[in-house]
Amino acid sequence: MRSSYPGFVLRRLGQAVVVVLLAYIATFVVISVLPGDPVSGILNNPENGFSPEQVDQIVSYYKLDQPVPVQLWESLSRFLTGDLGVSLRTNLPVAPMIGQVAASTFSLAGAALVIALVLAFAVGYGAHALPRWAGRDLLRAFPSLFLSVPNYVVGLLVLIFFSFQLHLFSVIDSETPVGTFFAALTLAIPVSAQLAEVIIANLDHESTQEYATVARSRGLTQAGLFVRHLLKPASLPVVTVIALIVGELLGGAVLTEQIFGRNGLGSLVQQSVTTQDTPVLQAVVSLSAVVFVVVNLVADLVYPLLDPRVRLTETRARATVPAPGRVPGPFAPSGLSTPKAG
Amino acid sequence: MTVATLSEPSLDAPRAGVLVRVPPTVAVSLLWLAVIVAWSLAPGLFTGHDPAAGTPTEKLLGPGTTHWFGTDDLGRDLFSRVVHGSASSVSSALVSVAIGVVAGSLIGLLAGFLEGWVDTVLARFVDVLLAIPGFLFAVIIVSALGFRTINAAIATGVVAVAVFARVMRAEVIKVRQATFVEASYLQGGSRWQILLTHILPNASRSIVPLAVLQFGVAILVIAGLAFLGYGDPPPASDWGRLVADGEKFPFAPWMIYAPAAVIVATVLALNRISRWLRRPA
Repeated sequence: MRSSYPGFVLRRLGQAVVVVLLAYIATFVVISVLPGDPVSGILNNPENGFSPEQVDQIVSYYKLDQPVPVQLWESLSRFLTGDLGVSLRTNLPVAPMIGQVAASTFSLAGAALVIALVLAFAVGYGAHALPRWAGRDLLRAFPSLFLSVPNYVVGLLVLIFFSFQLHLFSVIDSETPVGTFFAALTLAIPVSAQLAEVIIANLDHESTQEYATVARSRGLTQAGLFVRHLLKPASLPVVTVIALIVGELLGGAVLTEQIFGRNGLGSLVQQSVTTQDTPVLQAVVSLSAVVFVVVNLVADLVYPLLDPRVRLTETRARATVPAPGRVPGPFAPSGLSTPKAG
Repeated sequence: MTVATLSEPSLDAPRAGVLVRVPPTVAVSLLWLAVIVAWSLAPGLFTGHDPAAGTPTEKLLGPGTTHWFGTDDLGRDLFSRVVHGSASSVSSALVSVAIGVVAGSLIGLLAGFLEGWVDTVLARFVDVLLAIPGFLFAVIIVSALGFRTINAAIATGVVAVAVFARVMRAEVIKVRQATFVEASYLQGGSRWQILLTHILPNASRSIVPLAVLQFGVAILVIAGLAFLGYGDPPPASDWGRLVADGEKFPFAPWMIYAPAAVIVATVLALNRISRWLRRPA
């Protein structure tokens, strides 16, 4: 029995919602074990200038005087209506605070993704098609190297060479296109390694397939074979990898933004960590979980449409014949549980 | 047919096991790791300079014969600081990998072995861990536990749990269907006995290369957290903190080069060894 595409969409949609809600709860639990008590730590600190009335207001808003499950329920029901709470540091609503800086991070992450893809396909094609004397094996070592160089080291080297020595951009005003390009390059290098590894593996696999041999025997050149036959099947799995690395782009943005002095979600996280501004942390982490889940959902939903070989055959093979004798349920020996054909 | 394919490789197996051929790059990697371990265990043997005491007249010197990696803004010897920092960097990565392997394998083992609702619940739990961007999650956990290197290690370990759980579960499901597991049931083996004597040892084979790989990732992430200042405070010289110290002196780039090169070489070595362990035997 073949499961229908709409059924698959609904099931995946349901899973995605559950994962987002659980991620919210998980973040809340981690943050609420904070040793520092926000009431005494931030609210009652005279330097922050909260009046007793304001403190009472915030305490009753977050139900900070109630047990943790009540706070969680309160926070979760607000999250479901789209209300992200109020920052303890600036006393402003969290949603506009995030809105202000999100554009910077998303343009950084988007540019990084594009650069990573270009780099990965260039390395992948070179590692596959270049002759040995032109450094094919050297290119094959690139992904390993890129994976081993920390993002912040790349960032500092980029700063030293392109900003301090060549003066191509300035850290003071880092949100210019050139500044964004170099920050994105920094973020892209470790990420491109994972993409390149997948592309190289797929190109190697596809080029040994019979259709590739046939195409070659018809006299197609290496480049022609790549463009017309290998590129598409080799790039399909990249869709899944892109979806998985979105989280890394958002996480890596914390370090990249710090180095390049950019004002984005990452620097917001850093400020919130140092001031224990828990509502902002909760919101940013939940938001990135939402982004991750949505991107993966889209990748999963689009994949069967892109690749005709992947049809949803999950439910087809499952046989439900009860195991005989005293063999415990899930461990029915394969020979015994195979249903007789017909 | 089955008999023939089974008997031939098993005759060759012991002979191949005695002579393990180590490619030169792997040998270099192992050698480098041995150096790092030696630095961690006995830093005093490798450098005569005190990592904490600076000589103000010798500040910000480039690499040379007396100070191999140069000196920092307080005139402290960078080579000595890197060597003395390795104990903390290596042991925290070890702690993190241990947490990931133990907790992740346990979750994967139970999910793959028990199936049913246990599997569903654990799989959702792993999905949730995967959905929160790893580095962000580590930052949150560190901020909850307090800014110490050991807490950074715990955070990195918790983030790695999902990876190990996923691989372990897949392996358990694969091994569970093997003929020898079936045979063991027919001989009257109990579920838990089979889990411990057959499934666990066979399924953990692919955990070993993953753990080595994760060791490298943990070094990177913990150094990243230390770079942000979420590790032990200053007199400590974790590799990540050394890089962060160098950030303030762009005109003295060797302050970044030395610790960065050590981090890169170590992670590269671990990646190479992991790849070698994963090779088809």
